[in-house]
Amino acid sequence: MKSKRFSIPGRMVLPTVLLTLFVGTMFIAPLIFTFDATKIAVSERLAGPSWAHPLGQDGFGRDRLARVLYGGQVSLTVAFVASLIALAIGTFVGLIGAYFRGPFEFIAMRVSDVVLYFPPILLALLVVTIFGPGVTTLVAVLALLFFPSFSRIAYSETMRVSVLDFVEASRALGTAPSRIVARTVLPNIMGPILVQFSLTAAACITVESGLSFLGLGVVPPAPSWGQMIRSARTYMEQDPFGIFVPCAALFLAIYAINLFVDRLRDVLDPKGQLEGKDAVSATKDGAGTPELGEGNVAELRALTLTLDRGADLPPVDLVKDVSMALRANQNTALVGESGSGKSLTALALMGLLPSGIQPTSGQIAVGRKAGTPVDLASLAPHAAEQVRGNDIAMIFQEPMTSLNPVLRIGFQMTEALQAHSDIDRAEAREKSIAALQSVGIPEAASRFDAYPHELSGGMRQRVMIAMALLAEPKVLIADEPTTALDVTIQAEIMDLLRDLRSSHGSGLSMLFISHNLGIVADIADWVVVMYSGEVVEEGPTDQILRDPHHPYTRALLESMPSAHEDLHSAKGDRLDTIKGTPPLPHLRPSGCSSRDRCPMAQPVCATIHPDLYRATSGTRAARCLFAPEAPEHLIQKEAV
Amino acid sequence: MLRFALNRALSAGLMLLVVGTVVFSILFLVPGDPAELLLSSDGITASPDAIASLREEMGLNKPLLAQYGEFLVNALRFDFGVSLIDKASVGDTIATRLPRTIELILAGLVLAALTGIPAGTYAGLRPGRRFDRIASAVNAVLISLPGFVIGTLFIYIFAQFLRWLPAGGYTSFFTDPWLHIKQLTLPAITVGLHLFSIIFRMTRASVLEMRGNDWVRTAVAKGLSRKLVVRRHVLRNALGPVITVVGLQMGILLGSTVLIEFIYNWPGLSGYLVTAVQQRDYPSVRGVILVVSALFILINLMVELLYSMLDPRIRLE
Amino acid sequence: MTDRKNPTHITRRTALTYIGAGMAALALPGQSYAASDKTLRYGLSTFPPALTPWNNTGAASNYVKLCLYRGLMGYDSEAQLVPEVAESYEWVDGNTIVFKLREGAKFHNGEPVTAEDVIFTFTSITAEDSSAYLKSSFESIDSMEAMDATTVKFTLKLPSAVFLSELANYCAGIVWKGSDPEDPIGCGPYTKTDEERGVFIEVTAFPDFYSEGEPRSGKIRFTAYSDQNLRYAALETGDVDVIEYLPWTQFDTVEESEELNIAATVSPFMLALFNVEKDGPFKNPLVRRAVGYAIQRQDVVDGVFAGRGTPLLGIPNPPGSPYDLSDPSIEYSYDPEKAKALLAEAGYPNGFSCRLLGTSTYGMHQDTAAIVQAYLQMIGINATLDLPDWATRVKKGKDGDYDIAVHGLSGFYNDPNALWPLLHSGPSNYTRSFGFASDRIDDLLERGRAAMDEAEREEIYKELAVAYYEEVPQIPINWRGQAHAMQASVKGFKGFPGWLNTSSGFSFDTTEPS
Repeated sequence: MKSKRFSIPGRMVLPTVLLTLFVGTMFIAPLIFTFDATKIAVSERLAGPSWAHPLGQDGFGRDRLARVLYGGQVSLTVAFVASLIALAIGTFVGLIGAYFRGPFEFIAMRVSDVVLYFPPILLALLVVTIFGPGVTTLVAVLALLFFPSFSRIAYSETMRVSVLDFVEASRALGTAPSRIVARTVLPNIMGPILVQFSLTAAACITVESGLSFLGLGVVPPAPSWGQMIRSARTYMEQDPFGIFVPCAALFLAIYAINLFVDRLRDVLDPKGQLEGKDAVSATKDGAGTPELGEGNVAELRALTLTLDRGADLPPVDLVKDVSMALRANQNTALVGESGSGKSLTALALMGLLPSGIQPTSGQIAVGRKAGTPVDLASLAPHAAEQVRGNDIAMIFQEPMTSLNPVLRIGFQMTEALQAHSDIDRAEAREKSIAALQSVGIPEAASRFDAYPHELSGGMRQRVMIAMALLAEPKVLIADEPTTALDVTIQAEIMDLLRDLRSSHGSGLSMLFISHNLGIVADIADWVVVMYSGEVVEEGPTDQILRDPHHPYTRALLESMPSAHEDLHSAKGDRLDTIKGTPPLPHLRPSGCSSRDRCPMAQPVCATIHPDLYRATSGTRAARCLFAPEAPEHLIQKEAV
Repeated sequence: MLRFALNRALSAGLMLLVVGTVVFSILFLVPGDPAELLLSSDGITASPDAIASLREEMGLNKPLLAQYGEFLVNALRFDFGVSLIDKASVGDTIATRLPRTIELILAGLVLAALTGIPAGTYAGLRPGRRFDRIASAVNAVLISLPGFVIGTLFIYIFAQFLRWLPAGGYTSFFTDPWLHIKQLTLPAITVGLHLFSIIFRMTRASVLEMRGNDWVRTAVAKGLSRKLVVRRHVLRNALGPVITVVGLQMGILLGSTVLIEFIYNWPGLSGYLVTAVQQRDYPSVRGVILVVSALFILINLMVELLYSMLDPRIRLE
Repeated sequence: MTDRKNPTHITRRTALTYIGAGMAALALPGQSYAASDKTLRYGLSTFPPALTPWNNTGAASNYVKLCLYRGLMGYDSEAQLVPEVAESYEWVDGNTIVFKLREGAKFHNGEPVTAEDVIFTFTSITAEDSSAYLKSSFESIDSMEAMDATTVKFTLKLPSAVFLSELANYCAGIVWKGSDPEDPIGCGPYTKTDEERGVFIEVTAFPDFYSEGEPRSGKIRFTAYSDQNLRYAALETGDVDVIEYLPWTQFDTVEESEELNIAATVSPFMLALFNVEKDGPFKNPLVRRAVGYAIQRQDVVDGVFAGRGTPLLGIPNPPGSPYDLSDPSIEYSYDPEKAKALLAEAGYPNGFSCRLLGTSTYGMHQDTAAIVQAYLQMIGINATLDLPDWATRVKKGKDGDYDIAVHGLSGFYNDPNALWPLLHSGPSNYTRSFGFASDRIDDLLERGRAAMDEAEREEIYKELAVAYYEEVPQIPINWRGQAHAMQASVKGFKGFPGWLNTSSGFSFDTTEPS
């Protein structure tokens, strides 16, 4: 995969070149060569290609190349001018309607509606009939036909933009409305309007050719593509080439513009464009029955997750050699900044890796409620479906978007149950309602039939928790479950999660992911700190918090907000006390990955990449040459 | 809900009144005299007496306001008057013609939906893969080919060259079902190709957008099978925008199958309208436009209702 | 001049011959067989806007009307003028003619055709509020008298050489006197049995049709194909048996085809009209004549009509006309130098600009306009094309909203008198140069119509040809070919020659599909 910064202009190159070439040919070629598109020579009618007439001659012996080029000028000019006028009128109407509201809104939008309610070709037909065919009429018709689409877009975009903070702010500052509209609103809605402009230009070419085809467009002898098709159609059998030429030109023009729009849209609005990446990649097919350590419900063993960057770039290890054990009835916290690989690690444990990222070595061993443990790193997709949600479940950071907005909560819960057992609907409903009650949702029965948008964020996160626990999994992964919530709600959810261990009888092991060490103090028994795809320190929570061995862990602790209320603030998981950001995976420095940001870094840190040194007691481990766990000889030898 | 219904009915009525008035006024700006046209086809000289008496008979000599009033009152009773040309009831003609245009559009729509939605879904789920590349490329070609170009090509290939299908025309299904279907095939495919390109694009984009959503990940995390995830959590959500666009297209197509009807000699509503404009048959033009506009409003309303059923977040107000 | 070449001019002597021939045909044994149950499928160029018997609503309507209605006179399958609903006729004197109706002729409702019906028909046509095409022609009837149930006497105000031809027109069908005005009942060979507006009309053989053994086809299904390419495609694929207005580009293909036959003739002509009322160059006949010398007519024939037609250099004397009016001294040629000289003489040595009116509805008008424009440019006349739709073009023509216009015209029988509506002055009409009136031409037309003597008529029309050149009411461009094409298996269908072509519907009587 190319990185986005480079791929975007790359995607625009081809359509831009194509379009420029095409438009250029239409307008420049006639300047260089002397073409006469209207000179008739009936005696040479339908002559084939020759040096003087590379594309042959039409039914009147006129030069077909000249006509195609000149016709292109006419078609493109008409399309461009008409679209421009439609843009100007439509945007103005839409802006006025949306910004000033009231009667402006009513009039602006109704005028557009009336035009929309007329069948377009008919409207064109009527206007052309009244004013007679010709380029001016054509431009007027097309502008009339297409301005409503601009006004609609301008209207809805302005509605969206005008409630944004900065617009509200300038309004509060007493800036003149016209100034706000021109300076603030307009630039912000230009993207979609630009896309619509290109679309309209392509549509204009189509309609123009259609009208000319019906004889209602460009007036002869001036050529236009539609008109050329119309006249070539009569000679279609004798001279198929004659109809092919204008059809091809017409096709190429629309194609070039459409391609340009598509790419432009991708660039302006990249959210729909995941560059061929599935949100969830299928697990790799393979075999292997791993074993779990005593008392462990899941283990990661030397797991390396690799991003495939396509044929041109070498793959990159996003997560390297991570090992971790989740013990029954124990809460483990996985802590790190964004980009540390903590979420990827958690997703790997669920078998939910984004596509393009694959486990390249190591094992993801998950114990099953019944039967032998499985290795999710090599499990067949169908088998993985039976593990997910059943033996291991997950709740996510964004409760607002984690539930499908168009399905009832009850349906989304019962389908989770039904995916793993042959349970009838009534029983599934009963169990789901009970689960809702158990996470503290009042009036659970009526909430069961509610849609997600009818619930608050906190309620939705409770629903997510209830849903995750429905199938009684052994492992629950909570990926920053409170970050997106209000402060007071955060505490409630944390309390709920903390209580789960006791209420959830069969020994739940929770993996709690956070960027904040403070928050895990309350809930975790064990802490794992990750940095740049590696585990840098782990150990019992109280020990880590009291005495961090890795400078990075220390920095994390120091960046903790003092007041409890701010613990879980959503102001971004960036560390204020440590400058900079974690290195990008493919730009990791030599030696210790964290040395660039480490206040204690020594020259030796640049040469040795430290291992995760484990204390002899076996509980704690740290990845630092200066950590107590690190073998002494390493530093001495290099430091001399 | 009741408020919604009232509100919509009122605004629909208002819109139709505006449309009707606009059409009525426009028609009197259009040059040309139906009486003279009728009596002077093929370069024949009609006598002024004959034209004058025909104008009288057609009721064209009444004051404009009286004609307007008459038109409005009758339109309220769904009476669009009779054609100036052959005195056939405009309402009856619309009643026979409209179903054909709708049949053509629906046949095209069914073809397009049956192919476009699966293809768009498949491509959207695997963007950048071979199927997506090929389908998107084909689609880009389709979207760039105007219907009249495709139609011309089809007639040449399938009717004149291969002789598989009739070149055009229309036979009632009840007269000869097989011939009816044969005659429907080419125009329906031509309409369908246009709709396919829209449905494919929309479905693909929508699926592409939906499948990246958090709830899809949730669904996978629940352990749902891939099929269920796609059907319930991607496609179900992706259909809303697709239906909106298709609905809008249906309305637009109602009035713009002109070229396709013309090329295939399909006697639908658009063809009637074009002839009526050419003959300056005012009652027919007015009737057709009013009916098409009403349908357009109705389709929009249905799309809105359907959308609100698909997405509970949308409130009808 | 023999009568064979002059179907419009029928004397007492020849009329008797026709009666004899008709009787003989009736008497021939074995010739009479009932209509087959076969359906003839005919591709119309447009759907008939209306089928009112006496209004002229275009060629397509007229084909269908000839199935439903027939007049006193008609044409046989060789396009010869013969009595139709009348069995025979006799000129009592130049102003009086007596028709004997066929015994047994019946209307579609079973009522016999009587002298009263004939009188009803012509009274209705000439009624004050009538919009009949031939209203002014039949206003020449002074009185009508039913001599008995099947004999009717017409007295004309003036002698008329073309009265019988007018009676044979497709807008002169006899209608039952008791008809509902909305649904006139005729006595033609077919009755309308099915119709779908804008799509097709189906007619079924009328069992009591007066001509025994006819019509030969049990049904005719007229389907409208307004797109000429599709119309041809429908013939090629076998969807229809006969089509009218074969596209010119397909003449060659059909002629070479073994499966298809062509029936071609030259019929209408293309011409240029002028606004001579407006103060401008075209008011001057010299300028108009310059246009006549500026156009390379063969280019129009080749470029617009695929070579199917002939340049028209002088007066549009109908093809098959009894008189030869050609005379090189009053004919145009392609002579741009002469055209420029004429312009200079008229005071426009450097040319001028003007508006050229045509229509985008008909490709041939549009294309002819394009070529005329190109040639006008060569002599310094810069014409801007104005190509509105047909209805607007008609309006603009009638209102004189143009400088020069391209148009196509035809008549309905092959006698120079058919030029009357095209050349005789009258209220403004889009088929004539706007504001043009010439007493000289009017006088010649009136004399030609009233003259009964062959030699005298020929002299009059020769003078008309001179007047046509000198007064320049219009500039002729070319005759255009016109053809029916049909499956080779179709028998008996005839495309009538020249201006009678639009009356070819008479040959439906003897047409049989395979």
